[in-house]
Order: sequence, then structure tokens, then C-alpha cells
Amino acid sequence: MIPFNNTMDIVESDDQLGETSEEDSELSDGQLQEAFAKGLLKPGLNFATEEKKKSVNNVEGLKQCLADFRKNTLPWVERLDLVNLPAEDIVAKSEGKLDNKASGNINPDDDFQREMFFYRQAQAAVLEAMPRLQKLKIATKRPDDYFAEMAKSDQQMQKIRKKLLMKQTIIEKSEKAKKLREQRKYGKKVQVEVIQKRQKDKKAMMSAVKKYQKGMSDKLDFLEGDQKTVKGGPPGKGAGKGAGGQTSDKRP
Amino acid sequence: MSALKRKRGGKGPGRNTKKVKLLENGTKPETTEMGQNKEITVPAPVSMGKWKNKERVLVFSSRGINFRTRHLMQDLRTMMPHTKADTKMDRKDKLFVINEVCEIKNCNKCIFFEAKKKQDLYMWVANVPHGPSAKFLVQNIHTLAELKMTGNCLKGSRPLLSFDPQFDKEPHYALLKELFIQIFSTPQYHPRSQPFVDHVFTFTITDNRIWFRNYQIIEEDASMVEIGPRFVLNLIKIFQGSFGGPTLYENPFFESPNMHRRLIRMSTASKLKEKQMIKDLQKLKKTDNKEEVSRDVTDDVFVTPADDKPVHVELEAPTVKVMKKNKHKVFKRQRNLLRL
Repeated sequence: MIPFNNTMDIVESDDQLGETSEEDSELSDGQLQEAFAKGLLKPGLNFATEEKKKSVNNVEGLKQCLADFRKNTLPWVERLDLVNLPAEDIVAKSEGKLDNKASGNINPDDDFQREMFFYRQAQAAVLEAMPRLQKLKIATKRPDDYFAEMAKSDQQMQKIRKKLLMKQTIIEKSEKAKKLREQRKYGKKVQVEVIQKRQKDKKAMMSAVKKYQKGMSDKLDFLEGDQKTVKGGPPGKGAGKGAGGQTSDKRP
Repeated sequence: MSALKRKRGGKGPGRNTKKVKLLENGTKPETTEMGQNKEITVPAPVSMGKWKNKERVLVFSSRGINFRTRHLMQDLRTMMPHTKADTKMDRKDKLFVINEVCEIKNCNKCIFFEAKKKQDLYMWVANVPHGPSAKFLVQNIHTLAELKMTGNCLKGSRPLLSFDPQFDKEPHYALLKELFIQIFSTPQYHPRSQPFVDHVFTFTITDNRIWFRNYQIIEEDASMVEIGPRFVLNLIKIFQGSFGGPTLYENPFFESPNMHRRLIRMSTASKLKEKQMIKDLQKLKKTDNKEEVSRDVTDDVFVTPADDKPVHVELEAPTVKVMKKNKHKVFKRQRNLLRL
């Protein structure tokens, strides 16, 4: 997220070596070898970094200045400021992790973790401020019939809503497509199985017929399975025809 | 105009009987009014008390800001009803001119955006006549216009300010905290403000930077949605005066964007240089190898002394073998003739 935190390997290696490289730019080979053996030097070109300037930190001045311009006469109502740790992390708690209480522990590159931390801090602030505000009789919720200009215009909110809806529909569509794909896969499997079974039956039938033709067996049992269907077929068909005929008779 | 406003703000609860009546009806002053007059009127924001804290913040910028900064500035103005705007400052003007501008505009706080090189944005936050002031580098700006942030709040409602506990630990952060409180908190009963508290500004210190976020309070049980804007402030220096004066604090972790870019450029250049060097070395090695092959020292290992064979010179020419060519050619021709 932050553009200024990706230091290059080369720079890093140089930071560690910074002092020695500044004292004399032409180090003896022995020294360099020693440094390499210790792992201070990394392969690659190294260049000298400038020594860090000593930064000013006038603590007394800061305190004095703060005391000068602080307005202690103002009540809390005017300022509405709060200092607080983040609220309890429910997710982390449920997962049995330790609660991340200090802001120093966050990884600033982990967007979700960082934003969650800010969110929890705001939550804690709200939880702390609500009773105080209610005690001071300051409204925290506007009534439904109180209309006033909002920070974002209605157009903007409409746009946001549209975007949210679109996102939702996209997700739904993709899920549907996924389901359909799975169904198709399953359907194909069933089809293949059916075809294979039919072929197997046909093969068995043919072999049985051949056997009969050669006179190896004089049973005609194998035909029964087929005959059954044939028998079952025509009556059904006939009934259907009859029914059709009846209906056709009835019509005129 | 301002005098009129002041008058209206100054109206105490006992003075204007009509207003008091409306207020006594509870939280629905508009509906009763609409019922009486049968016409739509937009009442001024309800202010029951006296506006005491006359804090005014001037929010403006130098010339050469990009669209994002302009939007951010506009957003800050919508979020903070106690702000004033001014024309952009010329780049040539010295910074202490801002003090005079603030005085003319009757402001005692200032947020000044300074754009440099059309890419870096600096933000000055100052307590105007007497200081202190702080300079920040602004990074990662997201404005209200972005569609990712779905919250909304009343224009001009007062924010809660939430600070990281780290703000109390170090003196420079304590100073900044006080500065932020005085600038970002909307005065109570400000004529342009709304009487509700429905959003939170959070200031958190992570990675030696101050992260600003704005959340809408949806429910009392602290469920929230982000409104925006969001930005990250990287502290550079704190000065004792406003827009000048002795330096009180300098951030040791700050690396100027110019320097950062230079370092990146240098590292890429050195990488390329290294590659080139390696290539050259390899080329050199190759040529060396070829030379060695042409004059191999170990060649004479294979030179073995052998006996000379007697040279035999043939003095006579070898006997010529007479062979009959095309034995059947004659017949073939005859046949051909016969056919003809």
C-alpha cells in the first residue's frame, strides 16, 4: 500500500556496511573478505550511503509549546476527543489468537489487518463516547423525518448502490455458472454410463443368439428380457392409441 | 453576513419565543412548521445553545495541485463546517504570507496543501498567529467520490475524534494531537453544523505515519461504515512558529520522495551496470578460451616417434584392363532397325 517502504537489497546491504565504507572507500581485500565471510556483504554492486543527519527533537520546547497553545478552558463537549485502544477483536478471539492491542504490531502492508485495526479503534471510541454523549444530551441518531444535506449527494449514493448491486449480481452469476458446469459434468457421466450399459447388453444378446444359432443351447431365455419390454411396449402403446382414439371419438 | 450569523447564533433559549416553541415540540420542528404554513420551508440547522468556540480553519492550497488533492480539499471542507476557503496561493509567495491571509479571513487555524513537482503533496497544519505548525507528506489519498466507501453522514455534523494511545506517549505526538483536536473538532452550536454526532475521525500511528479514517456510526452498538476521505500523513517537521520559526522536531524516519526516487533509480542503474559487467566478463572469458585452444601445450603428448616407411616409387604405368562395354548394344540397334 505505501509506496515508500520497499528498500532494495543493495541498499540494505549497504546500510549495514555504511560506516566502514565511508571511512575509506578503498577497503583492503582482506577486510572485504572478512566482511563477506561474516555475511555483511552481499553479491552485487554496493554504493556508499550518506550518514544520517541528526534529527532535532527538542522535547522541552515541544512541551512548552503544547502548554502554551493548549486550550484547557474548553469543555469536552467542544472537542469530543478520545484516546483509546481498539475494541476487542471478535474474529481473532474466536480463532483463539492473541488480541492485537498495540498499533506497533500491525503489518502496514496487510491491508485487511490494518483497516480492521482502524475500524476497531473507531468502534471502541464510539462505545466509549455514546454514554458520555447521552449524559450530555447530545443526539447521536437523527430522527427519520429530519432531512438535511448529506456529505455525499444522492447521486453519489445512487452510484454506490448501483455498484454494490452489480457486484452482487456478478457474484451470483458466477456461482450459477459454476453450478451449471458441475451439473453438465455429472450429466455427461450418466450419459456415458448408460451408453456403455446398452452396448454391454447388446453384446451379451448377440453372443447368446450366436450360441443358439450354433445349437450350443436350445433355450430361448435370453429373448425373454427383450420380449418383456416388447410385450410391455405394445400394450402400453395400444392403450395409448386407444385412449387417443377415445378422445378423438369424444371430440366430435 | 457574518454579523447576521453571529446574531442568530447568539440568540439564547429565552430570547426568541417562536424558536423556543418549535424546539419544545421535540425533535420535529419542521413538521409542525409545515403543518402550520402548508408550505415547504427549510429551517436552519437547530442550534439551541450559544456558539462559544470561535474556531475557524482556513483550508486552501498552492497552485499546481492535482485533481485528487482538489477533491480531498473539497471533502475536508464538506466534513468541517467551520472551514473557510481561499484562492490558491501563488507558488512564488513565501509561506509566511499565509499568516496574513488567515488574519484577513479571520481564521486562527490553517490547513495548507502544497504541491511540488506535480506529484508530491505536502500538508501544513498550523495554529496561525503564534504557532506551532507541522509539515506532513500526504500519501495514499482516497476521496469521498470513490465508490468503495459506502457510508454517508450529515453535512456539517460534528465528529468524534479517536486517537491511538501512542499519541500520549511521545511529546511531539501529544502536540500533534492537540493541534488535530483544535482543527478537526467542530465547535458546538456552530451555525452551519448539525446537532448530531454521527461520524468518527480516527487517527492511528502505524509505520511512523499517521493514518486518517472517517467512519459513519450506523447503530449505537458501534457498527460502522467508512465514509472517507482517507489519507496517510508522514510527519516531516514541527516548527515553533506558524509556517516558520525554529524546528522543534524532525522525523528521523522521513525520507523525502526525491531521495526515495533517486535511490530507486540508483539501485536499478547499479543492477544494470552489474549485468553489463558480468556480460563483459563472460565475453572476455570466451575469447581467452579460444586462444588457448589454438596453441595447446599438451598437443605434443600425442606426437609419437614412428619408423619411416621405405618410399616406393612406381616407375611403370599400371596395366590397362580392356573391358567390353555395352555387350548387347548391337542387338538392340538391330532390333530397332528391324522394327522400323
